[in-house]
Amino acid sequence: MKKRSGRNGFIFLCVAPAVLLFAVFMIIPTINVFRMSLFKRSAYSTTEDFVGMENFTRLMSDTNFIRSMQNTILLIVVVTIVTFAFALVFAAILTREKIKGQNFLRIIFYIPNILSVVVISAIFSAIYDTNNGTLNSLLSLLTGKTVAVLWKGENMVMVSLIIAMVWQAIGYYMVMYMASMASIPQSLYESAGLDGAGRITQFFQITLPLIWTNIRTTLTFFIISTINMAFLFVKAMTSGGPNGASEVALSYMYKQAYTNSSYGYGMAIGALVFVFSFGLSALVNVVTKREPLEF
Amino acid sequence: MKKVLSMLLVGALTVSTLAGCGSKEQAPAAEAPSAAENQAEAPAETPEEAPAETPAETPETPAEGATITVAAIETAYGSQMWQDVCAAFTEQTGINVELITDKNLEDVIGPSMQAGDYPDVIHLATGREKALTETFIKDQNIVDITDVLSMTVPGESAKVGDKIAGGFTETSLTNPYGDGKTYLAPMFYSPCGLFYNAGLFEEKGWEVPSTWDEMWELGDKAAAEGIALFTYPTTGYFDAFFYALMYSVGGADFFDQATNYTEGVWDTEEAKTCFEIVTKLASYTEKTTPAQANDQDFTKNQQLILDNKALFMPNGTWIVGEMAEAPRADGFKWGMTALPAVTAGGDGYSYTWFEQAWIPGGAANQNEAKQFVAFLYSDAACEIFAKAGAIQPVLNIAEKLEGDNQMFYSIYDNGAKAAMGNFAAYDSAVVGVSNREVWFDPVNSLVSGNMTQQEWIDGIKSANDQMRANLIQ
Amino acid sequence: MERTKKTSADRLYKAFIYVALITLAVTIIIPVAWVFMASVKENSEFYGNPWALPAGFYIQNFADAWGKARMGEYMLNSVLVTALALAILLVVALPAAYALSRFEFRGRRFLNAAFMGGLFINVNYIVVPIFLMLVDGDKFLRGLLGDGLLLNNIFVLAVVYASTALPFTVYLLSGYFATLAHDYEEAAYIDGAGYGRTMLRIIFPMAQPSIITVILFNFLSFWNEYIIAMTLLSDPKGGKTLPVGLMQLTQAQQSAAQYGQLYAGLVLVMLPTLILYICVQKKLTQGMTLGGLKG
Repeated sequence: MKKRSGRNGFIFLCVAPAVLLFAVFMIIPTINVFRMSLFKRSAYSTTEDFVGMENFTRLMSDTNFIRSMQNTILLIVVVTIVTFAFALVFAAILTREKIKGQNFLRIIFYIPNILSVVVISAIFSAIYDTNNGTLNSLLSLLTGKTVAVLWKGENMVMVSLIIAMVWQAIGYYMVMYMASMASIPQSLYESAGLDGAGRITQFFQITLPLIWTNIRTTLTFFIISTINMAFLFVKAMTSGGPNGASEVALSYMYKQAYTNSSYGYGMAIGALVFVFSFGLSALVNVVTKREPLEF
Repeated sequence: MKKVLSMLLVGALTVSTLAGCGSKEQAPAAEAPSAAENQAEAPAETPEEAPAETPAETPETPAEGATITVAAIETAYGSQMWQDVCAAFTEQTGINVELITDKNLEDVIGPSMQAGDYPDVIHLATGREKALTETFIKDQNIVDITDVLSMTVPGESAKVGDKIAGGFTETSLTNPYGDGKTYLAPMFYSPCGLFYNAGLFEEKGWEVPSTWDEMWELGDKAAAEGIALFTYPTTGYFDAFFYALMYSVGGADFFDQATNYTEGVWDTEEAKTCFEIVTKLASYTEKTTPAQANDQDFTKNQQLILDNKALFMPNGTWIVGEMAEAPRADGFKWGMTALPAVTAGGDGYSYTWFEQAWIPGGAANQNEAKQFVAFLYSDAACEIFAKAGAIQPVLNIAEKLEGDNQMFYSIYDNGAKAAMGNFAAYDSAVVGVSNREVWFDPVNSLVSGNMTQQEWIDGIKSANDQMRANLIQ
Repeated sequence: MERTKKTSADRLYKAFIYVALITLAVTIIIPVAWVFMASVKENSEFYGNPWALPAGFYIQNFADAWGKARMGEYMLNSVLVTALALAILLVVALPAAYALSRFEFRGRRFLNAAFMGGLFINVNYIVVPIFLMLVDGDKFLRGLLGDGLLLNNIFVLAVVYASTALPFTVYLLSGYFATLAHDYEEAAYIDGAGYGRTMLRIIFPMAQPSIITVILFNFLSFWNEYIIAMTLLSDPKGGKTLPVGLMQLTQAQQSAAQYGQLYAGLVLVMLPTLILYICVQKKLTQGMTLGGLKG
């Protein structure tokens, strides 16, 4: 009997501080996002007016918001597909083949992930420069003509963002998949090889199914992370321009909350994006559900 | 850039920001007289009204040893001049000053103000991203300083109102409610115009155009030599440009109608002329400009002028210091001109940007704060500011300047007219877009060909309908 | 015959792989090296070709960044905040993760689900409510003590960091704890050890690899974080963290075009993470299999 109460006391002591901090700094603020989205509140006055769903109905007809959501979705889809395709293929190559300097390459590939977005944006500003940038000079060299692509211009700005975001994310996922692929027994590949399966078949028949659980988890969180990273990149690289062409959902939220000082409207965007990202992750989770394969 | 930004924004942002900040009250009905309308009447009223009211309010002599808090935004001028001015003020009046300067002043003083602790004097231009000044204007949380104009400058015999150059205390930026009362003190002014390489013009034997027709001719001539006619740092720099353009096309009447979003104003001949000039100018704009027209790369657009790749750009006088270390073409010499006139013999206009100092309603030491504001116009303070490149809007200041600045600040002596004022404030919590977004940002798309003139105009019209409906009194 | 054919195809394939891997490595190395190069350039060199080699070794940039731009002081703050936040995080998260994964008690499923849900909460959505909450707290304290304590307080910032990292950390650690056999505890209990002692002496030492992973990942995210830091440390005379200082330097660059200082600042931000990464990259990349997701 005594032991039992000691057990409960122990559990309480272990869990209580974490629950307290989690509730105060994450749960309550999150609830407040949703609550504030029903109010109008400006920056330096503390009064709030309840406006019900007005903020949301306004959002639905706000063309700038709709465009920022379209950009967000575009980034989620393209950045995810490109990053995952490259990361998986490169990881498979690095684990399966004997590559000289494999370890060195792995170290290098991971570097973008530890850099601050501010640093990355500064780097890409130099790369995307129209007249002096490396990208254009490289293209000029390859094509033999003077190439002057306006990388941060209205037509290319999203492509430029995608390149920078893939650059940042690819190494991280590659290293992660390498780790999980390394645990696939070599014998599986050997017997498949004897059956005449080529590299590509092996990749799709063995590698992918066996690390599928890992892919599912990372995919779910990659979507959330992309929404966030897109904001950090846009903020540091393009300020949403030119003419709003690269505005994404969260940068638009910030613009409304801080530039326009309408916290309520900004939080309505936050609430919507929140629900959107949650729903999308759940959807991806359901769609990618497979019977887990064991080695 | 920061300065620029604020400047630019003045126009566009001011309007929108003003509007933007206030989310808490419904905007007044559409018919409410706007600040700009009143602005026109203000001059006549102010002188009479202000003195009449002041006696009762005239500050008593402050107690020796009192301490006021002054919060000033740190811009390209640096913060040293503020320290010097505060020291001079303490020496003159015995009032101690606790000075706060920061590049992100809003972040610094914002939290404590939200917690009820206000500085006594705030120097912060309108048109900044955080729109703190606009928020206070909208909340009517600023102390009326009309009486300061009739105060004597500490240590001098002249009155403040007599020292400030004409017009500066009669604009919607200083008298935001259009009631003839001054709430914000005009600070550091700077004429805006088109900047160019005067050396290149001498070398080629080109004349600086005085009408838009001459401008297009020059554009064709320059194009033949591989030089674009026009560039701009970011679209934010268009505010001063548009204001001056509206003045030169239709004079003060058209400007007032336009900045108050008067119904049908965009269908007038004047408006059409404005739109056509801008669209045409977009076609003469250097092609890489929009891709670099962001806060990270704008110096590359400014560099186009230094490299003789473009002839003109809208900018302000800080450009000289901002690009001081940049390499430049041989024989480069800064030049600045007002916007060309629409017809031969018409007026050229140059917009004047200025910053504001004000006393928040929650300030604890308002009398001492007023003394401080008055002191900002003293010869001693003006001199300290001028040394750092910040020019106070006092009479005859141009004579005391040297170098490029003398040329810049004498632009109005050379026949250009001064344009002042800005778009009327609206409740941006309701409208949700700024004038910069509907007016200026699309220029990027006009240049790159992603938008037609008609689409641009339609956007302006529909946004302006909303702004008109949500004007703030 | 068949064999030689296969080898030549193999060679081609290998060559292709090398080209692809090296290209990727180059696109990562060169831009990062470029920042280091730019940091020793004089201001006037920045207007020319950005890829030109520096004319000299202009070390003054670092002196200016360190002293004039107060980066030295900010670095100390960053070290303090990061260390404090990690300490708080470990003290709070370790016992919680242990209890949540090893004990059956009422509400356990709910708490596990709550922390899982917390993984979906992005700090960028909730920074405004957190800030407003601290403002209100300060107002209350001002009335009580005459002064506010919550804003501009490095300790509070560290607590917020630790709290927002809780879901990821608890998730990762309890994932590890769940894999341990219950025999360890049984044996300890039989030896007469209490719950606390068992946890501290038996379980935590075994969890060392996951703890190191937790420290590494959270170090990177705390060190690079700037939005919360910017919001909560706003006193000009008070402290800032390094990334916020860097943001300021970016703005200083905008008003006076101090490129050299900016890149020196970028190097100061990057260097600690790069050094740490090179020292522990093995552990970092190994640890990734444990978490499988990004914090």
